[in-house]
Amino acid sequence: MTHTMLTIRDLHASYGAITALHGISLDVNEGELVALLGSNGAGKSTTLKSICGVLRPVYGSVVFLDEQIANKTPESILKRGISLVPEGRDIFTSLTVAENMRLGAFVSYNRKRYQEDLEEMFGLFPILKERLHQPGGLLSGGEQQQLAIARALMSHPKLLILDEPSLGLSPALVDQIFELIVRLRERGMTILLVEQNAERALRVADRAYVLNTGVMEFSGTPEELENELDIASVYFGGGEGNKEVTL
Amino acid sequence: MSGVQMILGRIKAQAVAWILAAALLLVAIVMNLFASGVLIDIYTYFCLNLLLVLGLQMFMGNSGILNWTYVGFVGIGAYASSILSTAPAVKDMGVPNMYPALVALQLPILPALLVGGLVAALVAAIIAWPLMRLSNAVGVITLFATLIVMHVILTQWDNVTNGPRTFFGVQYYTTMWIAAGAAAAVLLMALWFKESSLGLRLRASRDDRHAAKAVGINVVAVRYFSFVTSSFIGGLGGGLWAHYITSFSPKSFYMGEAFLLITMLVIGGAGSISGATLGAAIVTIMRELLRQLEGYLNNSGVIAFDVYGLTEVAVALLMITILIWRPGGIVGGQELSWPLWRRRDNSAEGE
Repeated sequence: MTHTMLTIRDLHASYGAITALHGISLDVNEGELVALLGSNGAGKSTTLKSICGVLRPVYGSVVFLDEQIANKTPESILKRGISLVPEGRDIFTSLTVAENMRLGAFVSYNRKRYQEDLEEMFGLFPILKERLHQPGGLLSGGEQQQLAIARALMSHPKLLILDEPSLGLSPALVDQIFELIVRLRERGMTILLVEQNAERALRVADRAYVLNTGVMEFSGTPEELENELDIASVYFGGGEGNKEVTL
Repeated sequence: MSGVQMILGRIKAQAVAWILAAALLLVAIVMNLFASGVLIDIYTYFCLNLLLVLGLQMFMGNSGILNWTYVGFVGIGAYASSILSTAPAVKDMGVPNMYPALVALQLPILPALLVGGLVAALVAAIIAWPLMRLSNAVGVITLFATLIVMHVILTQWDNVTNGPRTFFGVQYYTTMWIAAGAAAAVLLMALWFKESSLGLRLRASRDDRHAAKAVGINVVAVRYFSFVTSSFIGGLGGGLWAHYITSFSPKSFYMGEAFLLITMLVIGGAGSISGATLGAAIVTIMRELLRQLEGYLNNSGVIAFDVYGLTEVAVALLMITILIWRPGGIVGGQELSWPLWRRRDNSAEGE
């Protein structure tokens, strides 16, 4: 079962003179839900950008399915099976829901499989079926987030990366999104989840990593993280009053 | 179930274009049976305008980039096809400085029209790549400057175009039937293009360039191929127009015409085929009515001075009004849908 899907070793990344990642390492095994946690500026987004090929790492390796992808283009990484749901629900607002889904599938378009995939997505996201011919911009925030995830799934990713999926959603919708993440994981999807909502993320994750100012401070199961309470209090509770974690 | 819905949705999306295309031909039949020569002329002119606007819509409507150069490609198509279809003796007389090789060259009209479109597409293919990398104001200004360059070449290259003087002696070929048939065909093509994979990716890049890149779309390449396709239609339309009007000069392919075509598109709604059609109809009708009014005013002496340019002023005012009240155009970005289907949509939402 524990075939390694994504392996990051000693990854250094920088924006010009500012170094954002000081040699981090991270593993995602097949079928796992891995949470990547950390406060603002910890380097979470930089890590994702390096995986997806948007940012070229200075040093280190990113291996996906036994292949080095650190210097590949974003399109070719997408084709290899890594699909990112970006922060802030980047859907196409003037295109219909159906067209948004078709765009997700277009890296490997096949009409018959597209129809089957669409059916499958309607099973996961019934609301999208009702809204199929409406412009994406008319959907509510939660529906747009569902559409963004559905669009990413249409490309048949082997690894799904969710960047802050709960950002800006009401508590009830956050519940919905996390239920969905659990369901996807149960269906065997490998997921790398980046969240500031650490409490929620730890409740569903198999393993967790904690980033702080470009250094990996912790890696292990949620229970292990719970036992190292001082780490949790330093990085989730300390200084940021609104992010209280009761572990 | 949803497979059926998909198909229904597809038919619904295409129904408008089929209805419009059938209506174009139907009006042509009615005109042929009952109408006078003037009306037939106006209708032919409308069909040619519609064809040109639809070609413009292919790129501009789906990419959101204001395409000033389009009318230049219409001119290239008009000149290329006319040079090819006109008899050597006529060219010898009409364009004294023309290169001998060009004078000798003659093709039947249909291949000449096709080559006209291809020459326009070829020129577009050569110049478009750097242009398509630009967006927003920078892109618009660059395209505008490109139109000026094209105009200067058309007016100065008198070995080919007869310079700023009129190019005359082109055969009359584009009857109302041909214009209406071609417009109907381009209408269906424009819809097919909009719904095609290329058109969809182009619309995605219009919506959000960065998100489009994130789902793996090569924005520059998508824009490039669409621009070339649109220029091909423009060149073809230019050829048909030239073989209707039979004599023309470079000023027919400059700011005035570009503005008129862009207005037609913007008034109706650049994002949709129905909008482009409605805009072309409104501007053509306005133009004819105002021209009649102008003639009446000037001949009857109701006003002490002569009136000129009523059309331009009225069309510009209409454009300003529309942009203020309905920035998306009268129809907006979505195609008009049949009332019956709209009702069914609403009931589905209620569930």
